[in-house]
Amino acid sequence: MSELKRTQLYHAHVAAGATMVDFGGWEMPVQYPTGIVAEHLYTRHFCSLFDVSHMGRLLIGGPERVAFLQHVLTSNVNALDLNTAQYCIIPAADGSAVDDAYLYRYEEDRYLLVVNAANTEKDLRHLAAIAAGFDVAITDITADWASIAVQGPKSKELLTVLSGGGAVTEPMKNSLNTLEFEGHRVRVAKTGYTGEPLGYEVFIPSADAAWLWDRLIELGAKPAGLGARDTLRLEAGMPLYGHEMGLDPDGQPMPIFAVPLAKFAVSFSDSKGDYVGRAALERQSAAFRRIQDRDFSDVAALPRVIRPITLLDRGVMRAGMPIYRNDEQIGWVTSGTMVPYYRAEGEGLETVITDEVAKRAIGTCYIAADVLPDDIVEVDIRGKRLKAVIPERHMSVTAPPYARPLIYGTELAKREISDAERPVRALELLKKAQENHIWRQKQCINLIPSENTPSRAVQLLCSSDPSCRYAEHKKVIPFYDKDIFYYQGTKFIDEVEQLAVDELRKYFGCTEVETRVVSGQMSNMAVFSALMDWKNRLDRKHDPKRLGYVLNNHIIKGGHLSAQPMGALHDYIAVDPVTERSAVVNFPVCPDNIYKIDVEETKKVIEKYRPEFIIFGKSMVLHKEPVAAIRQFVDEQGIPTTIMYDMAHVLGLVGPYFQQPFAEGAEIVTGSTHKTFFGPQRGLVAVNYREDELKYGLWETIERRAFPGSVSNHHLGTQLGLLMAAYEMNHFKDAYQKAIIDNAKYFAKALKARGLNVAGDPAIDYTETHQVIVSVGYAQGAEIAERLERNNVIVNYQATPDEEGFTASGALRMGVSEMTRFGFGPEQFDRLADLMADCILHGRDVGEDVSRLRAGFTEMRYCFSDEAFETALEHFAGRVGF
Amino acid sequence: MNFPAELQYSQSHEWTRTEDGVAVIGISDFAQDALGDVVFVNLPEVGDEVTAGEPFGDVESVKAVSDLVSPVSGTVCAVNEDLLDSPELLNQDPYGTWIIQVEDVTATEELLDAEAYEALCATEG
Repeated sequence: MSELKRTQLYHAHVAAGATMVDFGGWEMPVQYPTGIVAEHLYTRHFCSLFDVSHMGRLLIGGPERVAFLQHVLTSNVNALDLNTAQYCIIPAADGSAVDDAYLYRYEEDRYLLVVNAANTEKDLRHLAAIAAGFDVAITDITADWASIAVQGPKSKELLTVLSGGGAVTEPMKNSLNTLEFEGHRVRVAKTGYTGEPLGYEVFIPSADAAWLWDRLIELGAKPAGLGARDTLRLEAGMPLYGHEMGLDPDGQPMPIFAVPLAKFAVSFSDSKGDYVGRAALERQSAAFRRIQDRDFSDVAALPRVIRPITLLDRGVMRAGMPIYRNDEQIGWVTSGTMVPYYRAEGEGLETVITDEVAKRAIGTCYIAADVLPDDIVEVDIRGKRLKAVIPERHMSVTAPPYARPLIYGTELAKREISDAERPVRALELLKKAQENHIWRQKQCINLIPSENTPSRAVQLLCSSDPSCRYAEHKKVIPFYDKDIFYYQGTKFIDEVEQLAVDELRKYFGCTEVETRVVSGQMSNMAVFSALMDWKNRLDRKHDPKRLGYVLNNHIIKGGHLSAQPMGALHDYIAVDPVTERSAVVNFPVCPDNIYKIDVEETKKVIEKYRPEFIIFGKSMVLHKEPVAAIRQFVDEQGIPTTIMYDMAHVLGLVGPYFQQPFAEGAEIVTGSTHKTFFGPQRGLVAVNYREDELKYGLWETIERRAFPGSVSNHHLGTQLGLLMAAYEMNHFKDAYQKAIIDNAKYFAKALKARGLNVAGDPAIDYTETHQVIVSVGYAQGAEIAERLERNNVIVNYQATPDEEGFTASGALRMGVSEMTRFGFGPEQFDRLADLMADCILHGRDVGEDVSRLRAGFTEMRYCFSDEAFETALEHFAGRVGF
Repeated sequence: MNFPAELQYSQSHEWTRTEDGVAVIGISDFAQDALGDVVFVNLPEVGDEVTAGEPFGDVESVKAVSDLVSPVSGTVCAVNEDLLDSPELLNQDPYGTWIIQVEDVTATEELLDAEAYEALCATEG
């Protein structure tokens, strides 16, 4: 083995007792003494280290680097922002793969391309031949830098120790960062080849590699070899060149689109020009789309595809074994083995990963394109035909911090009731609803910041007669824009709607309000739809153009779901042809306060993208939004845009204690009426356009997109409730809003004083809104929130801006609005902080104490309660039969 | 590495001992170590004929599959069904875990004693 190459970590492997093998010309550890099964499980459960220094590391620089990479890779290099990475394939002219690779952009002017070890020389020859036609420089830095993959649920924690507590990378996959680990300069990527939702690859100068390896082992990581790397990537469904790419067992080149990842890794953007293999890939892509549509009439360009496969009979599949459907061979196993996993118990968020180990025989196969998920096939295992099935996938990574195995055939328990049981269930529903109502209203403390309890008057009005009626109406030009109703019996609701609009105009200090939208989400959809319609108003003869660019708060940074492409923006946002992504950019946040928009950086983003639409507002919100500063900036720069503030959470705080959006320069405000506002669950749109302004036309479009665009009946009972809520708000807002802000700051300080980790800036007492955010430890949020619920405190577990998603939530998001309305002041929030700290930090049962505290505060404040009103309310309740 | 003196070994790393005319067969410590984690064992059925020097089943590790070669000819009279659910027993206790038992033994491969087998392993290791 003297001719084999060795990585910077060779001696560490030998010292650890690794079994070394020849892998692509490198002497590499296939396993350590604990064995592949233990290494696989340790990765899934804790954290493993993989020496991936043998992989080829090529730096691509030079003036024509982008044009070159666009020509030799399948991916869209223009879509690769600084400090992000992308998976890509190096295509051959026939549409097969020369190799697959990862492209990292740590620097503005150079790209790092990492390729398979065994292919490095071949790739270099291939790239160098094409590079001759471009002004680029390719530098092989494989020997100068080592790479260590740090993979598993604890990887973030271990690397955060080395970073001294700072964020290792942004929480999104493929994020990059350059930083120091205890004085050693490193480049980190949130990437990997194990399928772990938390996994990093660290590039480090060769001389420091052994230091990092030893240091991570000291922190609890364990080394894992190529054997575990293979079982992990197989379980994750990731392709391996030579198995799922390259030549098939018959020696024929496999088309790139056979690999499901190709859908993401292959771009046909115009900016890529006529790149290597493009024509063949376009044919494959057309066949791929037909196959996705289950049209198998023309699969000549893609006769077989890579799919996962699970053995149903006892045995183990291996690469190269033939697969049969009836008596026809339809493909081969491309990778296969027995893979271990920890059994899980329970359902949903209560799923517990046990320490009981099980194994399953799984693999990937290259199989006829018309095979569908759940189809049964046969695998020829040394002459015996064994049954196997094509599952959707072997594993899911979407519930971090753990990769979760999907065991074929597992189904959730189903509940069905018989016809005979139905009357009993109906009775039971009444009983349970009553119990729930009393518990939520009298025995538990609700701190969900997006909720409130409406007053008794509002609740009664909501259930009164118009709740079952229609009242469609529309402005009609020949009647001088008078609203005309289509049904009779609507005179009362007509008056109510007009009064509600008048009250709300006063509340916002604006010109127009639309109240027919029945939710915050619908308010946004009506506005987005109207903006798009307005944008296309001068050309109705072509497909309407969607919105773009739009500047908003990223969902991970607290942005509203309803302002995201996956939410209400979905049907209205353009795709940028250059990046092939939604034309959305996000507000940058301050490096030292991830809850706050960085105004100066935002100005740079606005200058670069010139967004046609700016959406302020968050659902995890501690700060005022910088509306005035951005308004001033776009006006000075002459950037035509529309500024909207989605005030969902803070709609009840409009005023001097928080923000006055229209005075600060917002044009449109949307929101839901039941969070800090006093209303039932509805939405609204307010604008400040004057009738003589051009954009008044946008307002009229918004009205049309509310009705008939979004609603027909608009829940008329709650429309009555909204009017009462608006009366209450305008009458009591000064005391209420002040109490909300005071209570939130007080509660935050009280929790901090009890030893809880309160997020935000201590200089402003942590919050400027009704919200208080407490960090309880990475991925502990759901469990602590559940514990609090058992103790009669209802909170909302929440991923913070540096966490991966809701299952990784490490925070509790709380709001003081509902309890403030029930009369809580500093004394009660103090007591509540005591009880919560006892429960969170010491695991004490505080449920009864919580209920006692709550029992003294069941009467609603900030609503009409004089004698005449109370008498009328009783009379109303009695007469309408409630 | 352990080489119990009371056992005989084949060149293909199976061990055997005879109890009341029945050949008890397993794999050696060296074999399990070389295989790595054993994840599946393909067993014959009681009543199957086996032939000295011929495969009677196979053992799958995470990495690869290896034939199990019978050191004797005869009729399988027992198979260790524990291995279907717990193949890792072969890693944990190779000499305490038999795989099959063979009766009516008609022929036996040329077998090595512990000392000779240890020497063979030394050359392979």
